[in-house]
Amino acid sequence: MKFSYNWICEFTGALETPARELEQLITLKTAECEGIEPAGELLRDAVVARVEAAEPIAGTHLTKAVVDTGRHGRRTVVCGAPNCRAGMLTAWVPLGKKTIQGVESDGMLASGAELGINKDGTGILELAGEVGGPVPGCPPDFAIDIDNKSITHRPDLWGHFGMAREVAAILGKPLRDPVRLDLVPSGPCPVKIEIGDFKLCPRYSALVFENVTVTESPLWLQCRLTQIGLNPINNIVDLTNYIMAELAQPMHAFDADLLRGDTIYVRNARAGEAFTALNDLSYTLEPSNLAIADAGGAVALAGVIGGLDSAITARTTRIVFESANFHAASIRRTSSALKLRTDASMRFEKSQDPVNTVRALARAVELMAIVCPGARLVGGLGDSRREPSPAPVIRLPLDWLARKLGRQVPAAEVRQILERLQFGVAEPEPGVFSVTVPSWRATKDVAVKDDLVEEVGRMIGYDSIPPAAPLLPSVPPGRNETRLYHRAVRGMMTAQGFTEVYNYSFISEAQARELGFDPAAHIRILNPIASDQELMRTSLLPGVLKNLRENGKHFDRFRLFEIGLEIHPRAEGLPEEVPHLAAAIHEKGDGTASLFELKRAAECLMPGAEVRPGPAAAYEHPARAAEVWWRGERVGRLFELHPAMLETGRGAVLDLDLCAVERLRPEREKYRPVRRFPASEFDLSVIAGARELAGDLQTKLVSFAGELLESIEYLRQYSGPPLAEGSKSVSYRLTVGSPERTLSLDDVGRIRQRIIDGMRGLGYELRV
Amino acid sequence: MLDTLTGLESATLARIAAAESPDQLETIRVEVLGRKGTLAAISKDMGKLAPEERGRVGKLLNGAKTALESALEARQNEFAAAALRARLDSEWIDLTLPAPGVRPGSLHPLTQIQTELEDLFTSLGFTVLDGPEVESEYHNFDALNIPPDHPARDMQDTFWLSGASLLRTHTSPVQVRGMEKLGPPLRMIAPGRVFRNESVDASHEHTFYQLEGMMIDRDVSVAHLTYFMKTLLTAIFKREVTVRLRPGYFPFVEPGFELDIRCLICGGSGCPVCKQSGWVELLPCGLVNPNVLRMSGIDPEEWNGFAFGLGLTRLVMMRYAIDDIRWLQSGDLRFLRQF
Repeated sequence: MKFSYNWICEFTGALETPARELEQLITLKTAECEGIEPAGELLRDAVVARVEAAEPIAGTHLTKAVVDTGRHGRRTVVCGAPNCRAGMLTAWVPLGKKTIQGVESDGMLASGAELGINKDGTGILELAGEVGGPVPGCPPDFAIDIDNKSITHRPDLWGHFGMAREVAAILGKPLRDPVRLDLVPSGPCPVKIEIGDFKLCPRYSALVFENVTVTESPLWLQCRLTQIGLNPINNIVDLTNYIMAELAQPMHAFDADLLRGDTIYVRNARAGEAFTALNDLSYTLEPSNLAIADAGGAVALAGVIGGLDSAITARTTRIVFESANFHAASIRRTSSALKLRTDASMRFEKSQDPVNTVRALARAVELMAIVCPGARLVGGLGDSRREPSPAPVIRLPLDWLARKLGRQVPAAEVRQILERLQFGVAEPEPGVFSVTVPSWRATKDVAVKDDLVEEVGRMIGYDSIPPAAPLLPSVPPGRNETRLYHRAVRGMMTAQGFTEVYNYSFISEAQARELGFDPAAHIRILNPIASDQELMRTSLLPGVLKNLRENGKHFDRFRLFEIGLEIHPRAEGLPEEVPHLAAAIHEKGDGTASLFELKRAAECLMPGAEVRPGPAAAYEHPARAAEVWWRGERVGRLFELHPAMLETGRGAVLDLDLCAVERLRPEREKYRPVRRFPASEFDLSVIAGARELAGDLQTKLVSFAGELLESIEYLRQYSGPPLAEGSKSVSYRLTVGSPERTLSLDDVGRIRQRIIDGMRGLGYELRV
Repeated sequence: MLDTLTGLESATLARIAAAESPDQLETIRVEVLGRKGTLAAISKDMGKLAPEERGRVGKLLNGAKTALESALEARQNEFAAAALRARLDSEWIDLTLPAPGVRPGSLHPLTQIQTELEDLFTSLGFTVLDGPEVESEYHNFDALNIPPDHPARDMQDTFWLSGASLLRTHTSPVQVRGMEKLGPPLRMIAPGRVFRNESVDASHEHTFYQLEGMMIDRDVSVAHLTYFMKTLLTAIFKREVTVRLRPGYFPFVEPGFELDIRCLICGGSGCPVCKQSGWVELLPCGLVNPNVLRMSGIDPEEWNGFAFGLGLTRLVMMRYAIDDIRWLQSGDLRFLRQF
């Protein structure tokens, strides 16, 4: 929201603090300022000038005007405005000389739009006032832009008077309240008000005026609104906007002659009730929407927007001013559901003060006399409300306050701070304040003593609290084993040449389908930013595939990995989040080395892990795909991407369930004594089919070796003459030994023979 | 015989000196010193000499043998040394050739800064906690004092998911999970990935990283919060930093602050980085709102605490002067290999 420096000064009196310094103070003590900018800068030098002579410049739409500018003397100006004529008073701005159409033009005659007074650029200003003086009622200003998020909790700061209250408290200035409640008329109101549910509408106040003329607002009012970013419309609407910007109380004006019946109903909309709003859009309402209705139906969407059918027009002569209070959450629900965020709904959803409704009407009475001089009040105030709740009183022990802040603040200073912010302060017992919360802070903002810590803290300045180390027992913190394990995995992967990537958690349907994943098996984002971010990933592969493709454009050989979460929907409750490691190698060669490098990485993470070839998914190379098993569980896959998936080279991928791997890690094992008796070795070569798995042969050899086998080591494999076509010889070195004695040659021979016999029994030939 | 012996010795010494290979030396050794060699023959003939002659000749014979043996050995050593020199010379390597084998990869810069901060906080007695990235509305909002229809929900544009859950918009729900799980007293941090429904450009991401921190104890004050934040930031930026607190609104803290640091680029005199203000907004923090404590089953009359949220992504960008946030999740090795 934009705040006018001049407007604030209306309530605090002139300030010695310039706008830029005030902006800093507000940032430090109240709310975040996003910036400050001059508003209506040309007004600084603009003066009222009389057009003495105006003659058209032949062949153009321009006029050569001679103007009397008072203290700047007589000037000749070329003006393009159609309304430029002799005798009028307008605004002249000294901007230097330039030649237009062969005529030397000195300065400029300005429109309201050019001066930042309104949006009217159709002609130059028509002014009253004293020649040579400033444009009346339109001084240059500064607009201080406050971050709306930082006043989410402060309903009172959505108007200039509330901000002025802060400024007065910060600077120790007096505060003048613009509201004169004595102007509120008494007597019966010609409009009856019926509120269906006081929870949804705690208060509805109204005033009726007749003999109203709808016209332009005076320039000063247009200027004010323009300088804080609002558009002047007409005197009645501008007045409601002015009061909203001043007192934070949204108001609405109905054309009283367009209302049906004599009663205003505040009720839930009927299901399917049609409503056309001031923005020319039609809405179909639901019972969750609160409507303002007359005998014929909805005439406004409570707290959000007025209706077109009862809107103020040039023909309006009688008006009803609505100044009401609505339940914050209800307004917010309606405005979000209808995607209709208005200046009114933004304020109501912050929990406005019900006391403010009548204050706003009192201000309206005063301002109507200025902006619509002929208008007359009809009857008295209409006001329907629930019993106001008593002002909250908070017990504030001063020693507790000091403990919270970490600094003593003298009682007198605490009292002064709170009283300047218009809290009531009593001291029923020494060292304990009893603090009464003013109505505009009591709707939601200040409810407990912690809220008062902030009031005192921000006003003494947090920089007055010296940092202090707490006195705490020194306790070793808990260990996050999973994080520490992931850290170790990352370290190992980078040591082996893999670079870490982070991919998004989102994938597109197309990405899922490309890998044969069913989009329906993914958690779906209901409000995605873009269609490529609709699903939560159930695998790291789509991301890694993208990494391979994109980096393949720049590099032939590279290694990368990601540790991230797979997100799998569950029937109930939050989804399952499973950390995975996906590692990939891109190369141009035959691909063997990459797969074995990944296998080695897997074995480094999981000593003794097995790779078991098996059926390949469609995106996997059909002859190069395997499951990874460790300690009896399947923990992942090792495969080469199907060549159709990657154009730039071959891509080998290892995908591991890190949750399972972490869980399967063996406990720290006891030391095994080093064998004291020498071991014996012998080599065996098994003849097998060319595609028989070396891993299977080894398992079989081990199964016949018996318990004295210490280790088995793959040596080499060979195919070619003299072996038959389609067969190969795989050689192993076996080491046998006993912890109790040295094995004799006979012992070793017996073991070896048992293995040979066993393998022969399975139909294998051995080269011995 | 004496003459023969003297002549043989000098002739053999000359042959040893002239030998051109270990093989030639061996031939000489066999001829002269071998069992059937010249010296052996002379020694055999000694029996024919008179006893007094025999003693003299014997002495000379031994002298010649020793002299020849040591000459042979010396010459053998010369050959061995020469052979070694030749072999070593043949093993010359051009060490300016590039070393083969893989180079270590690199950790993502976000991992690096996260690790650094985890270690820092662990050293200060904080436990590192984790929470889910897909969160319940309760943990992400309600339990943090942001009920449904609260305007503060606008402060964080939320991705809503099928199945009545959402993507956590901040790491703050881990506060709640930490309090629920561990209870007071508590010192914890929770780094992690968070999501906001925002369009992506050079300075905005829908996916970024935060580090949540919380301390709950008997008497935690604003002064303590400032102390920890200053300690933390001094460690992160590796130099003394000046901080200031100003009011900030976050429903889960009361009072709530925005913490600014004096601009490290200009030192506070004003520059484009700090938008001429001299201060850079760095992290939101505050004293934990009593409602939040109460909802997590902690009595606010007995315990209180502070909480803060640090933008890890922002920190990484500041540290490495990264001008486009999108690099971080690009997976582009041209970028990632620099870290």
